[in-house]
Amino acid sequence: MDRRTFVKVGCIGSASLLVQGLDPMMRADAIPAVAPPVELHGLPNYKPSPLGMPGLFPGRVIEVRDPNAIVRNRVSQPIVRRLLDQSMKALTGESSPRDAWAKFIDPKDIVGIKINPSGAPACCSSPEIIREIIAAVRSVGVPARNILVYDRYSYEIDVGSYQALLPPEIRIVGIQDAFTSGGDGYEADVYCDANFFGEWETRSYMATIVAREVTKIINVPTMKDHSASGVTGALKNLAYGTFNNVARTHRPPYTFTNPLIGLMCTVEPLRSKAVLHIMDGMRQVWHGGPLTQVQEFIDQTGILMVATDPVAMDTVELEAIEKKRREHGAPSVWQHDPSSITPDTGLFFHDASKNLFFRQPGHIAAAGKLGLGVADLKQINHRLL
Amino acid sequence: MITTETAQPKSSSDWPTLLGDNARTGGLGERQLHPPEKSIWQFRTGGAVRSAPVLGDDILYVASVNGTLHAIDVFTGIEKWKFDAAGQIHSTPSLFANLVLFGCDDGKVYAIDRHSGKKLWETASQAEVWSSAVVRNGVVYFGSADAKVYAVDAASGHARWSQELGGKIYSTIYAAEHQLYLGCGDGKVYSLDSASGKILWSTPTENGIDSSPALAGDLVLIGSEDFFFYAMNARTGEVRWRYETGMGVASSPAVSGDLAVIGSKDGFLYAFEIQAGRLRWKTAVGEVVTAPPVIGEGVVCIQAGGTFALDAGSGKIVWRAGLGGGAMQSVPVLASDAIYLASLSGEVYALK
Repeated sequence: MDRRTFVKVGCIGSASLLVQGLDPMMRADAIPAVAPPVELHGLPNYKPSPLGMPGLFPGRVIEVRDPNAIVRNRVSQPIVRRLLDQSMKALTGESSPRDAWAKFIDPKDIVGIKINPSGAPACCSSPEIIREIIAAVRSVGVPARNILVYDRYSYEIDVGSYQALLPPEIRIVGIQDAFTSGGDGYEADVYCDANFFGEWETRSYMATIVAREVTKIINVPTMKDHSASGVTGALKNLAYGTFNNVARTHRPPYTFTNPLIGLMCTVEPLRSKAVLHIMDGMRQVWHGGPLTQVQEFIDQTGILMVATDPVAMDTVELEAIEKKRREHGAPSVWQHDPSSITPDTGLFFHDASKNLFFRQPGHIAAAGKLGLGVADLKQINHRLL
Repeated sequence: MITTETAQPKSSSDWPTLLGDNARTGGLGERQLHPPEKSIWQFRTGGAVRSAPVLGDDILYVASVNGTLHAIDVFTGIEKWKFDAAGQIHSTPSLFANLVLFGCDDGKVYAIDRHSGKKLWETASQAEVWSSAVVRNGVVYFGSADAKVYAVDAASGHARWSQELGGKIYSTIYAAEHQLYLGCGDGKVYSLDSASGKILWSTPTENGIDSSPALAGDLVLIGSEDFFFYAMNARTGEVRWRYETGMGVASSPAVSGDLAVIGSKDGFLYAFEIQAGRLRWKTAVGEVVTAPPVIGEGVVCIQAGGTFALDAGSGKIVWRAGLGGGAMQSVPVLASDAIYLASLSGEVYALK
């Protein structure tokens, strides 16, 4: 059995993971040493793009909000349209939304929109925002057939009903399903290799759709805390949504999301193709992310952020989640108190003082040190419109 | 002309709606249901199952996402034949005469001989077909993600007509005697003339529609991603009543008598008195509900992670069953002496 086949078997289900000798929910008995070395293999001979992360506007984050953008858990299409137009003009300094989008997208591009459907339906990339992004990309001259919306897990895409809610001709792709159905899914030569907990398969491969098919990526993360990485934002949505075999980086209560998230985002061509990040903060999950369905921990905030710098964006997000947790009396995501750790996911989902892992929000600053953007709040040009 | 519909198809050879009849029984009719006690057999399809199995003549037909339709002998759990399509399959199969029909992500609807597993005909659309093909009076109707409704001859697969709507179609058509009803990604519920495809009426909701309609008397029942469950006048499309749930409604209603049951992504199952538009009960089943319920004799069954059986009168959970790691968002097959289940991870179980 070759290595790719081996990974493929591991993708089929938890039973197969057990066969491999790595149960993702198995607890680590000892504190692991520092992160092991991670070997990165990008697409050979790929010429980096100046639009690549941190992109055209390092350190700049535009935030717009409207309390009427989400009312009784429904997102308003017209308000989202206005917020997106406003924020794109402010990000680029252009006077029209079309000119703003033309700074990133060419009519000949194949545009991938990376959504975050995990957590659907309670908190996922809003179809209303995705529709507006599609309309904006089309306004530049990209035909609908050259736009695709993707994530790793098509089942989560289904739960969000994106298929029915997005316009005809837009392709919607669940990378993992294509892979396990025998189609192309991942690139054998583009990968991150590291052994975190003694796992048998030490590589995470880049999705073919990212490596070969799309020419630009618009990243649409949500505003959520994350039980392992502290928050999940632009960086995590890109990294763990592009490479496979990433659950191996968690073994409760430990996780190596730092440094792997940032490292993955440096691998070409992901770094070059991810030209724009649009954070959906219509809903803000301050505990239980990324999968919670508990409305008690989800505030309807009506926020939209745009940036080319994912590190700056996630730094702003981290501050917002921390503020929200303080307001609700929940401990910081930086807290590493062993008494807060529980193996009981049911308890975790309903008690904001509990967590499954010692979280790693430091993955954002680590990504900054890799040159992916600005992590120092004082140096971030955070404009609230 | 409007025809009053009952829970069962007019003719035993028709398959007019998702899973054959309004109760979503897969054409088997409402059966008595006992809690399962043991597994008779298991079968691995090798790919995820995100559609519902159907049973006919002791053969269970299961489509897996990896593009294979399996025909499984229900007595032995042994595969009788399989058919490999050219794309993934998300469409729930339907049965008509000697045919098993299903849509495919390659844009085609395939008609397979139920006994031999050989392809008899195929017909093409321009995008994936996730809805089920339905049959009425010798005509197959289906909607495609290319935003069109197609009518083809059931015997040959030859095209009769197509009609373009305003959005992608994932909703399975309800084919009444003279009219078709379906939801659309553009948020509208449509009624089309079955003979010509002409749009007779359309009624907007406030978001796209994934749900498949039932027709109960003179009412079309359907859910929308706008969080509402609707009852519309089948002749005019006028909204007779609607009920707001806590999240989008992708599930499809099951109907028995004056009772309609539907799930919502808010994790609840809702039961309504159809004519009065009154909520009879709502019950939390734990997880997001996207699958349609199926109604047995006095019992409603729903898969939302596990399988739940609820008393149809009160909504009280009578029993629940989980299957290891095999989460389910499909529809159980309630046969006279067994229950057949398919899981997201691709296992099929026969339970007694």
